[in-house]
Amino acid sequence: MNKVFVFVCMISMACVSWLPAEKNNTVHHFTFTFKNKVGKADLQLSTQYKNPFGEDMIINKFKYYVSHIYLVTDKGKVIKVSSDTYLIDAADSTTATIQFSANVDKVMSIQFLLGVDSIHNVSGVQTDALDPMNGMFWTWNSGYVMAKIEGTSTFAKVPGNLFTQDVGGFKTGENTARKIKLATGDWQVAEQDVVTIEADINKWFQSKNSITIADNPVCHSPGELAVKLADNYATMFKIASIK
Amino acid sequence: MRHFITILLLLFLVIAGTAWVSRDARQKIIGTPLLFSVPKGWPQPVYDFKNNPPTKEGFALGRKLFYDARLSKDNSISCGSCHQQFAAFSTYDHNLSHGFNNSQTTRNANGLFNLAWTKEFMADGGINHLDLQPLAPITAQNEMAESLENVVKKIKTDTAYKRMFKAAFGDININTQKITRALSQFLVMMLSSNSKYDKVMRGDASFILPEQLGYDIFKKKCVSCHAEPMFTDYTYRNIGIAVDTFLNDYGRMKITNKKEDSLKFRVPSLRNVAYTAPYGHDGRFFSLMNVFEHYRSHTINGPTTDSLLKKGLPLSNYEIGQLTAFLYTLSDTTFLKDKRFAEPGTQNTIPSFIHLH
Repeated sequence: MNKVFVFVCMISMACVSWLPAEKNNTVHHFTFTFKNKVGKADLQLSTQYKNPFGEDMIINKFKYYVSHIYLVTDKGKVIKVSSDTYLIDAADSTTATIQFSANVDKVMSIQFLLGVDSIHNVSGVQTDALDPMNGMFWTWNSGYVMAKIEGTSTFAKVPGNLFTQDVGGFKTGENTARKIKLATGDWQVAEQDVVTIEADINKWFQSKNSITIADNPVCHSPGELAVKLADNYATMFKIASIK
Repeated sequence: MRHFITILLLLFLVIAGTAWVSRDARQKIIGTPLLFSVPKGWPQPVYDFKNNPPTKEGFALGRKLFYDARLSKDNSISCGSCHQQFAAFSTYDHNLSHGFNNSQTTRNANGLFNLAWTKEFMADGGINHLDLQPLAPITAQNEMAESLENVVKKIKTDTAYKRMFKAAFGDININTQKITRALSQFLVMMLSSNSKYDKVMRGDASFILPEQLGYDIFKKKCVSCHAEPMFTDYTYRNIGIAVDTFLNDYGRMKITNKKEDSLKFRVPSLRNVAYTAPYGHDGRFFSLMNVFEHYRSHTINGPTTDSLLKKGLPLSNYEIGQLTAFLYTLSDTTFLKDKRFAEPGTQNTIPSFIHLH
């Protein structure tokens, strides 16, 4: 009898050890696809566009961090779907899609943080998307560049006409990470849904603030200009389609 | 039946065992742990040892990296080029250090020791973690001028490094994080706590009269910024200096964007001060005598000058003499000659009377 008891104990121990962390019954797999636009046009690097102020611009780099992705259900439940930070890089189409899965049926809105949270700004050297090697980190004044646009414009009165708007800063009063909330309507989740999210560069320059290339060709540190640009890019996203 | 149960029981024991082992494996420390002991009477260090516990192997790797000139663009400058052990890991005799292609830095290289107690780095405190610190000199155009991609590329071609990374971190996947963590393991172990002052505090030695008189003066006139036992309170202060019009370095203001931080620089530790000349954030003070002269006669009462120095700091010739005697007791020759911190393969560090350019 004693042995049987030990045996049962062992079985339960073994089972507990191998049990997955969470039980999921109706798991759906999603894809978020980020599509970069200049107004109505799709963004192509090294191609000339005009910004809302009529300033010509050729964009060489457009990169931004996306983290803390949540889905809000019809019952108001907020589900965290990823703890990772992603670097969306216009030069690398493989970075435009984020895949994850969640146990959810109906979604009213999606939320994410544009940028890197403050913890990751003060915890030393990170890896993968957050590796300082990706050129999205300020070494002399520790902190991530949350988003950057770099390119040339005849309006940029700086060497090489190269305008570089690198936006970062995480301290109080200088924070440039922005919570993005996008309503999805009544989204009845199906297997393999693809959510296409558009980022309109025109809003980067003109939204809450009007920021011309002529007046602000360079942003390389946390502070007032970076915060103004952040308030602009907070509005640049919209959901184009859910399929 | 009895045998059957026993076999089943053993089987489940094995399964359960492997499951638990695989759980533990994730937290297992790789390598031989190094003991980091906090000197008696010192505060607790601020470095996050939990995330990066120093090991013998990580230390050895960090040491190799510290002295590896391949971390610079033309493979000519290592961390150790400007942080020389015989100068308490500052740049001996130079106000500013020499960088890539005849460039010059804009700040005086400060000594490296007791870094596990330092929260913010650089004279302006712009860098918020020891692991992040090496990224600045490696990538700065007027220092080592190299990209992190190239550093990793160069390191990956070296089979000795592959072995060392495997020993230190368990795999040969070399990335920025592992490089900087190895450097930190080397750097945090650079403890300087065996000066005459420390021996006196421990009761193992006693000051001679000028040293004791100097210590008494120090406690009256200097200690409010150069707080014991680190000999800095890690604050940023303007000691009544004028801006250098070539460098235009306003210090802390560049980091905080606040006018009230103009010309404020971090209070440097005075440990090993006899070995770290020149002094000041830009090395403008050639000798200790220059520093004393500044405090007693040359401070400027500007809008951000420290409240303790609005009228300068009166010091008599007598006081300067005794203070100097005391400051010399902060030299830790055990640290300056500790072979663990020397360049691998070198027997002795270069004596300090050799002038290096």
